[in-house]
Amino acid sequence: MARPKETDEDLLRRIGFAAIERRERARQNHNRLVALAFMAPALILVVFVLLVPVAINVYLSFMNWRKFSGIDQFAGFANYADLGSSPYFFDALLNTAVWVAASLVFPILIGLGLALLFRGVRFEETFKNIVFLPRILAPTAVAVLWFYVYAPHGLLNRVVGFFAHAAIDVGWLYDQATVTPSIILTFVWQTVGLVMVLLLLGLNAIPKDPLEAARIDGATPWDAFRAIILPLLTPTLLVVTILCVLAGFTVFDLLWVMGAGYPGLRTLSLAIFMYFEAFQKGGWSFGSATAVIIGLVVLSATWLQAWLQHRVEQTLR
Amino acid sequence: MTTHALERFDLAAIERSERVARGSSWIALGACALISLVWLVPFYYLVATIFKTTQEYTLSDPFAPPRSLSPILDNAVTAWNEATMGYGMANSALYGALGAGLAVLFAAMAAFGLTRLDYRGKNALFMTIFAGTIFPFQMYLIPLFFMYGRLGILNTHFGMLLFYTAICIPFPTLVLKNFMSALSREIDEAARMEGAGEFTVFLRIVLPNALGPMTATFLLQFTWIWNDLLFSTVLGNRAEVRSIMNSLQVFQGSYASTGPNVVLTAALIASLPSIALFFLLRRHFMEGLKVTGL
Repeated sequence: MARPKETDEDLLRRIGFAAIERRERARQNHNRLVALAFMAPALILVVFVLLVPVAINVYLSFMNWRKFSGIDQFAGFANYADLGSSPYFFDALLNTAVWVAASLVFPILIGLGLALLFRGVRFEETFKNIVFLPRILAPTAVAVLWFYVYAPHGLLNRVVGFFAHAAIDVGWLYDQATVTPSIILTFVWQTVGLVMVLLLLGLNAIPKDPLEAARIDGATPWDAFRAIILPLLTPTLLVVTILCVLAGFTVFDLLWVMGAGYPGLRTLSLAIFMYFEAFQKGGWSFGSATAVIIGLVVLSATWLQAWLQHRVEQTLR
Repeated sequence: MTTHALERFDLAAIERSERVARGSSWIALGACALISLVWLVPFYYLVATIFKTTQEYTLSDPFAPPRSLSPILDNAVTAWNEATMGYGMANSALYGALGAGLAVLFAAMAAFGLTRLDYRGKNALFMTIFAGTIFPFQMYLIPLFFMYGRLGILNTHFGMLLFYTAICIPFPTLVLKNFMSALSREIDEAARMEGAGEFTVFLRIVLPNALGPMTATFLLQFTWIWNDLLFSTVLGNRAEVRSIMNSLQVFQGSYASTGPNVVLTAALIASLPSIALFFLLRRHFMEGLKVTGL
């Protein structure tokens, strides 16, 4: 007793298209409500504790702020113009540029060098663990440790003095010329391990065959690195680059702890400048305008990374 | 055929290159050892210093090994008392355990809503949560400070927990969403057929399967909260509310009569929980690293 075959259209006509659509919509609405109930805690917290403050920050950066009456009136770009004429801001900007450049170049170069050097060497795991070790200390603890390394009677002066055969008592963290390089050195010591591990993950994903083939064809290690390893490592390098830029740009703990004794503390970086102006001096408009600038730079860096990543993936495919 | 192929290779040349490779591997090993030693110098200084008395530290060379091991007890007691580390440790443990725990639970619920049910408009909801990762922390500070002041939760445990929970939600949501969308949905459907409600499906089927990545993200977020200095400085700067890192910073900056030996002991004690967690749960950390980085 074979029933005549029913086409989809017949079926739709038989049950009624509108009814199906209605039922589907009802199901979707029900599902959406259930999903919203599940997402409610996360959505509420993220929106009210994170996103609303960001909006308020942008708003504040365009407002006047009087010491006693609070928010006064719309100020347009006046706060930003004030920033432009502040010598401290300019120094902070300059130092931030140095920070970003240094936290980009040194961790990646050293991390890549160590990754290539450690690969396949005996005791590879031990060496990797040792270089990674600073990473598991808290950044504040690292900053406290190096604060004493750089102290006038600290470790570094002792080492330099040993090689120079003289007693040295430079206050590395108190002198304008040495404070930023010193803190960058600490940052490198702390970060290289992570960069190296991430790069090793990328290196180990590179297939061995082309390297083998290149070696048999008489390519030098440098040729192999430039022609095979570097292109295949580019996606990993991009991710690591952006991680380093963002970390260098927003780092607070190291600078705040290690720069505590430096007279020009606020000029050490934009993140410190913002904290100092707002929370130590009560320059709230100044502070929020600085935060917006930091935000713009971070957002463009993230966007640039996403765009580059997309491009690289397309070229590799 | 084989002999013919062998003749094409210059055996002597192969042997020579092997010898060069072995020689250079010794050089590489030496270089690795040297770099590792340089990397360890600050750790040596840390360990040598915490075993010295303040007087011994002032008089002796920073490189000199300590004369005895017993001063560390005094250092630890002084550090614990003067840096109010009891408060700091308890507070940070509370913030880390409860804040990261709630955050990962909320993230798992959100990920369930984003992956296990059919409806339109998911992407907008996900982007709303994910937007919590793209802004630098500096943009939260000033508005939160004033909102907290207005609400009367500045310098309170509740205020700190509120912020730590919120900031730790977006990243686990991303990770768990990716994880849950790869899980088969057949069991869900089967359970629904049997009449199980959505909450049962979440609690009994999806949650037990997601425990691995949930643990990994919990550990990452716990460590983040434990290490945080910035937000405790801005939102919870009172001795009873301070996080451990804030206590450490205040102690170090207070220019007390205590020497580096005591402050460094405090720094090490403050780091101990994250060090212990790292070694106990290395595997999870490396997993987490892979999820974070790549």
